[in-house]
Amino acid sequence: MTSIGTGYDLSVSTYSPDGRLFQVEYAGKAVDNSGTAIGLRVKDGVVLAVEKLTQSKMLVPGSNLRIQAADRHIGIATSGLLADTKHIVNRVRDEARSYRDIYGIPIPAKVMAERLGLYVQAYTSYSSVRPFGCSTLIGMVDEDGPQLYMVEPSGNFWGYHACAVGKGKQVARTELEKLKLADMTARQAIKEATRVIYTAHDEAKDKEFELELTWISDETNGRFERVPKELVAEAEAYAAESLSAEMDDDE
Amino acid sequence: MHVRPSTHPTSQAKEAAFSPYEDHGGTNLAIAGPDYCLLASDTRQSNGYNINTRFAPKTFKLSNKSVLATAGCQPDCAMVTTRVKQSMLTYKHNHNKEMSTSAIAQMLSIMLYQRRFFPYYDFNILGGLDEDGKGCVYSYDAVGSYERVPCSAFGSASALIQPFLDNQVRNKNQLGKPKVTEFEPVTPLPLAEALRICKDSFTSATERDIYTGDYLQIFIITREGVEEQIHELKKD
Amino acid sequence: MSSVNFKSTRATQAATPITHSGGPVVTGTSVLGIKYKDGVMLAADCLASYGSLARFRDVDRLQPVGEHTVVGASGDIGDFQYVQDLLEKSMIHEFYTADGHALATPHIYSYLSRLMYQRRSQMNPLWNSYLVGGLNDSGEPFLGYIDLIGTTYQSSTIATGFGAYLAQPILRKAVEGRENEITEEEAIKIIDDCMRVLFYRDARSLNKFRRAKVTKEGVTVTEPYSLTTEWGFAENIIGYGA
Repeated sequence: MTSIGTGYDLSVSTYSPDGRLFQVEYAGKAVDNSGTAIGLRVKDGVVLAVEKLTQSKMLVPGSNLRIQAADRHIGIATSGLLADTKHIVNRVRDEARSYRDIYGIPIPAKVMAERLGLYVQAYTSYSSVRPFGCSTLIGMVDEDGPQLYMVEPSGNFWGYHACAVGKGKQVARTELEKLKLADMTARQAIKEATRVIYTAHDEAKDKEFELELTWISDETNGRFERVPKELVAEAEAYAAESLSAEMDDDE
Repeated sequence: MHVRPSTHPTSQAKEAAFSPYEDHGGTNLAIAGPDYCLLASDTRQSNGYNINTRFAPKTFKLSNKSVLATAGCQPDCAMVTTRVKQSMLTYKHNHNKEMSTSAIAQMLSIMLYQRRFFPYYDFNILGGLDEDGKGCVYSYDAVGSYERVPCSAFGSASALIQPFLDNQVRNKNQLGKPKVTEFEPVTPLPLAEALRICKDSFTSATERDIYTGDYLQIFIITREGVEEQIHELKKD
Repeated sequence: MSSVNFKSTRATQAATPITHSGGPVVTGTSVLGIKYKDGVMLAADCLASYGSLARFRDVDRLQPVGEHTVVGASGDIGDFQYVQDLLEKSMIHEFYTADGHALATPHIYSYLSRLMYQRRSQMNPLWNSYLVGGLNDSGEPFLGYIDLIGTTYQSSTIATGFGAYLAQPILRKAVEGRENEITEEEAIKIIDDCMRVLFYRDARSLNKFRRAKVTKEGVTVTEPYSLTTEWGFAENIIGYGA
């Protein structure tokens, strides 16, 4: 059955005859066009990494962040339309604050994922709005340890050991699946995450990119932090090494 | 019949109703000369018999031509000072020039009167140079009444200093000396003489008023700008 | 107070006037603070009183805020906890804003003073006196006071509550003019001596204290500790109905 057009893709409040919401699926395409974002949940923390494609050499490095804090213990990595992701980050911050106001403790990961999922879902139910053109990775450490969730434009969300979205998601997922995440420390995961981002990067189509690397682990006392420069350099060296080793194997 | 629930135990012990005001003491003095203006304040801040701190300035430079001295309830004084400074900045952004002392004087009056029914407990003296480069002193009450005077003293030792100024600066009750009338905008005193009278006023006030002491801050406004001096006063 | 909105019915509107805090309920007594060579030292005891009842005996009244600031509170403990929540919220906002700026001691001091003045202007004060200790923008020791009407002042020694009468004279004698000479050991001795005097004479005090210091290295708050006391002299006190 043909799924393109046929008048059922103009509004999120209209299903297609085979029960799909095309606008939501199109929102997914916006995510697929964006730089890869990955998350790794390991034994002592969570690592988030983003391949931030730079549109212009004149952009200041470190601007237009795609991984941001939403509370001391929450990191948000996003993939998709940048303006939409900013709105999502604001929403996550509001939820985190409101939970603290009411319960006096940091918001647990599951609650945050549920609340954000519910919010995003609402934008798939009314003809007056459009769904968010972004997927959101929520990396947190709460009472139950490290947590990783991803919320999709549909409002669906799942908990993950590792996940990837954006242009290079297929390559990245294949790489992530090979990792022994349960035995890994966040410090090791930083290296692997860097390697995965470099592997997933398509040099033919996209030239420049900036690597965004953040972690929350025992080493950061459960706080969201950007990975220190030395560690980033170390990880990039490791990534370069393993990439060139792979090239040698191929030959 | 409706019975009121019993009141909280602590509220039965009669609490004094909350007062949003306190008097933090301190004294200000200003003298307008032919080509200068002099403002002086002590820096002690008190609360009853306690000295909060020996150095809490309450007189501030607003521009190269004007200085504002405040005395009364410290938080209100701080608020008035902040608001005057903010409005002066807005004025500068709007008109691309510094506010004149007379304009600040009128604005301050309005600011104070806007709070007529919950006044700033703050007695101000605004000093500086007028449009002709003459010294000017504007003295206020808490709700915005103001007038231009040749000299003024306000605050906890004002009753000690004002009569002394009347006698020494305006030549009141001095036979054969020319009077400086109420309508005179400036005194004919040379700056050095005004400074001497000012310092003597404060050393003497410090002896008799427990709310005045520690340090004396003097601002001298001339065509060259604002000069600030700090002198010691007794700390007992 | 009822949260029902009576705006639509005029009769009931008059029956429920706005009520404001009438006074402190559960209270903490004095907080002391001094500047010394390396920074600022603050101390407070662990008691929260309900009138004359020693109600809670393990209350922390010294709150670190950010890297180089500590806020000490006397007065209503509930109001203090509300202020702690506000400060925490500001610090989290500052954290995720990630613009390279941090809220330093003078900014926290200014924020608190505006909060206290705003509430007094609404005739609904937060019933506290606060000491804010830390470092100013140039890294020098900073010690400031704020109270329920918004009064602010800075000094090298400050004491709130009963401490203003009992400890402040001792602190001034020991510290004034010597701020840059006093070592940490001496600062501890000065503070402890004053806390002992307060425990002897302030009936709302407790021999269980916390001490905080702020230096360039950051904030440290001690675990609760007690001081040695000598009550032998008490037998010889005669008078006042004893």
